Amino acid sequence: MRKAFADTLQCVASTDHKLVFVTGDLGFGVFDRFEATFGSRYVNVGVAEAQMIGFAAGMAKEGWHPVTYSIASFATARPFEQIRYCVSYPSLPVTLVGAGRGLTYSTSGISHHALDDIALMTALPHMTVVIPADPIEVEALFPQVRALPGPAYFTVGRFGEPRCEGVEEPVLGRLRLIANGERVAIICAGEILQEVMCARELLLAEGLTPVIFHNHTIKPLDTARLNEVADQVQSILVVEEHLPHGGLWGAMAEWMIQRPSGIPMKRLGPPEAFCFGNLTIEEARNRMGYDAKGIAAACHVLWKS
Amino acid sequence: MLRLQCIQLAHAGREGHLNGALSCLDVLLALYCCWLRVTPEDPYSQDRDRLIFSKGHACLALYTVLADQGFIPREWLAHYAQNDSPLPSHPCTHALSILEWSSGSLGHGLNVGTGMAYAMKLEGKASRIVVLLSDGECNEGSTWEAAMFAAAQGLDNVLAIVDYNGIQSVGRTDSLTGFTSFEKKFLAFGWQVKTVDGHQFSDILGALEHVPLETGKPTAIIANTVAGKGVSFMENQVLWHYRVPSVEDVKLATEELSPVSPPLFQEAGQ
Repeated sequence: MRKAFADTLQCVASTDHKLVFVTGDLGFGVFDRFEATFGSRYVNVGVAEAQMIGFAAGMAKEGWHPVTYSIASFATARPFEQIRYCVSYPSLPVTLVGAGRGLTYSTSGISHHALDDIALMTALPHMTVVIPADPIEVEALFPQVRALPGPAYFTVGRFGEPRCEGVEEPVLGRLRLIANGERVAIICAGEILQEVMCARELLLAEGLTPVIFHNHTIKPLDTARLNEVADQVQSILVVEEHLPHGGLWGAMAEWMIQRPSGIPMKRLGPPEAFCFGNLTIEEARNRMGYDAKGIAAACHVLWKS
Repeated sequence: MLRLQCIQLAHAGREGHLNGALSCLDVLLALYCCWLRVTPEDPYSQDRDRLIFSKGHACLALYTVLADQGFIPREWLAHYAQNDSPLPSHPCTHALSILEWSSGSLGHGLNVGTGMAYAMKLEGKASRIVVLLSDGECNEGSTWEAAMFAAAQGLDNVLAIVDYNGIQSVGRTDSLTGFTSFEKKFLAFGWQVKTVDGHQFSDILGALEHVPLETGKPTAIIANTVAGKGVSFMENQVLWHYRVPSVEDVKLATEELSPVSPPLFQEAGQ
């Protein structure tokens, strides 16, 4: 996804002559081509996230289109007030890119875990929040996000994730059908889609055929499509790599409670806790019950109920 | 008499922050009178100089100067801090669109100013970016992130003016910052620096005339000022950071400041 992002950024910047890339001293080697091509439209502010956002806001105020870049936790929590006050409040077209959200950097420690980024960013007025699952979505959605008239939070994973061809193409703001099915809908956000697709294989072997959706756009939530889904399935399984509050589950719970009639909905994901233990991401997902096996097991229960 | 206007408005609007308003008033007036390339007739001109009033709490000074210089109708002052006013108690571009930036939370103005200044450089514009900072605002680490960046990028179209009145919200700047020198700090961060008497127009204008002090470097002007300047019982008192002046305070201040024009409006409640 990181390479897909660098390539897409390069492509967008070649036609959007107001795009400036602002990094908080991260992305070693990844944006060399951008810097070589666009020169002073590449800015490294140093390890200074407050400056990264304030600087970007000042440029956006003058009509430029800044794309800021840092590790997801340092891109959101660290300069939160700058984002709230300098970007969200004046509703400036700054695209905040967070690399390695969730537990992508699980073995780097709590400092590098971004399990609250969606909650922080969705809390802000005017903010669009997009969590791609794979390189295909990065390529398709980044240009759409960059073209928004207001601020957005956009995440990219690391290198080498598989491409997940879905039934539908990714469209900003649109719940995306990945695999047809019935009875149980599994809806997830972000790279956890890989675990969901592995779970689907396990379930297919048992003869269970849940429908799979990827909800890349968490804000604004595609409630129209969700209502259609809820009318067609018996239950929904939400899978997220985020704290229980303020992420996909939170957004979907807010949507579900406003429906005239509800259907059973279950969540899989990390509990409200810091993830200690220097665990690999695979081990963390396994222990917290949202790896492929855990997802398949939970879907199985919903299917039979 | 702009000082008296500030005091009257603080009383009527029930919002204080007179210390910082009265301390930066002369610097602000000098900027608008004699230096900033922006006019009331064309406040959105692409080539204008941009002033970021980063110490938003002291906006009484900004509003009175803007009215005095013809940027906003003088009558608007009477609506200061009222419901739906274009002049809220912290400046907001949604309320008053001629402002370059909203302020209220400290430690953002210089960061944003570097973004504007970088944009000016990319666009080949000669516009200058002035950021008026409070000394308390320089407690914020973000201000120094911006200072480092401005020097690293050679943004000589940035002018930071520190209103060094020595008083913060509940304490004194020097004791809170370990009695360190603003001049030395900015120099160490790669800026050119000039210290002036922030209440002497000749001194302020003398420094402004030479901005940028050095090509390729951002300029900082340290304006030595007096909190609550002009009113004996307010000067250099921490109390007057927040305090709203009473009817009696306004009367005493009026006597001291000898107005040449009648009050803007009747006392509240009459």
